[in-house]
Amino acid sequence: MTVVIGFEGSANKIGIGIIRDGEVLSNPRRTYITPPGQGFMPSDTARHHRAVILTVLKEALEQAGLKPADIDCVAYTKGPGMGAPLVTVALVARTVAQLWGKPLLGVNHCIGHIEMGRLITKANNPTVLYVSGGNTQVIAYSERRYRIFGETIDIAVGNCLDRFARVIKISNDPSPGYNIEQMAKKGSHYVELPYTVKGMDVSFSGILSYIEEAAHKMLSSGQCTAEDLCFSLQETVFSMLVEITERAMAHCGSQEVLIVGGVGCNLRLQEMMEVMCKERGAKLFATDERFCIDNGAMIAQAGWEMFRSGQVTELEDSWITQRYRTDEVEVTWRD
Amino acid sequence: MATANMASTDGGANHETGKLEFNEKREFQRTVFSRRDGDWFLQNSLDVPFPSSREAAIALRSLSPDREPRKGGISKELTVSGSTLSLRWSADEARILRVSVNSFLDHLLLVVETMEMFGPPVSP
Repeated sequence: MTVVIGFEGSANKIGIGIIRDGEVLSNPRRTYITPPGQGFMPSDTARHHRAVILTVLKEALEQAGLKPADIDCVAYTKGPGMGAPLVTVALVARTVAQLWGKPLLGVNHCIGHIEMGRLITKANNPTVLYVSGGNTQVIAYSERRYRIFGETIDIAVGNCLDRFARVIKISNDPSPGYNIEQMAKKGSHYVELPYTVKGMDVSFSGILSYIEEAAHKMLSSGQCTAEDLCFSLQETVFSMLVEITERAMAHCGSQEVLIVGGVGCNLRLQEMMEVMCKERGAKLFATDERFCIDNGAMIAQAGWEMFRSGQVTELEDSWITQRYRTDEVEVTWRD
Repeated sequence: MATANMASTDGGANHETGKLEFNEKREFQRTVFSRRDGDWFLQNSLDVPFPSSREAAIALRSLSPDREPRKGGISKELTVSGSTLSLRWSADEARILRVSVNSFLDHLLLVVETMEMFGPPVSP
């Protein structure tokens, strides 16, 4: 039996999870929530993480009913993400690894999402759509790499949604994306927005600029409601994502789609992807907010795979990195 | 308990209880202006006592891997001698030095708190 503890804190969530051979023993998490209209800044987010990380670690051990001696490996997020929060989490991971005399393992955050999705859904070799506040990528596995078939050329889809939420002061609790999703259900009038698919890539910054510019005018003149804007934005950006995912499937001859990342728990996105999958006779795999949104167990799971295939990270190589592409990692645990 | 004011006041590790207490009178931090090729620059040093050399070594290895976010204008050196962790900064501007020292103290405090809650270290 191999037990891995995973530390995640690359953005505004801090989570610590414990995995024992594919079983999630515990996965507590805290979210740094800012007031409506405000995003989360690196130094404030790091301060939040510093204030709660040791409590979350205690919870993770207690809920799993484990002692430090029961753990085989300490995994943490090496990147990508915001520097200050990443350092905070890495410091605690390095310290406990030394206190407990356990090997350390630096994990790529994106790989964490993919491996957690594969574990929970049992998807074997899916085309992966990874959509969150910091990343938007269509990924397929080939020859020991998770290869990026398409991605955003500017901001992430979740960033586009979050920043739209700030413009019209939608609450960040529990998350701006969740609140947009609820409001969109009440929208009926479709406002045409720029649709920007460029080959296998997508772009969201122009859509954001357009809606930032237009929102207040349209709302004050009564041309549409905030709910209509939420609905229109979701329909537009999700259509773009479904289009590039479908094209990647055609390229790879794949019959499985896995959606991971924070935006992946949006049921409207899952519904639209399901329609496309049905038409192609393919199968859709998705998870709920426990595993889609950043969490510690996903780092533990990727760490478990890496550790079992013989990888460890020496302390002197355990620096964090804000940029760390999915295809930089050699996948030593798959054929 | 180690507190954030350890940088400016007095203290020392209580070797009897093994607790990270700072209660002896001693100088921890000193900042000096020096001249190098006619240009003024700042040097700052900080000594942090730990209950044992083992804990000082763990702190060193936890705090060392990440480089300064800023490319130039500052350098930082960490060393351990016995149970004392020593820091030396050299910076062109007080503003840059202050940011680095403040951030280091946040990191140090987190490492010390982690040791208090999840230590002591297992025997090697």
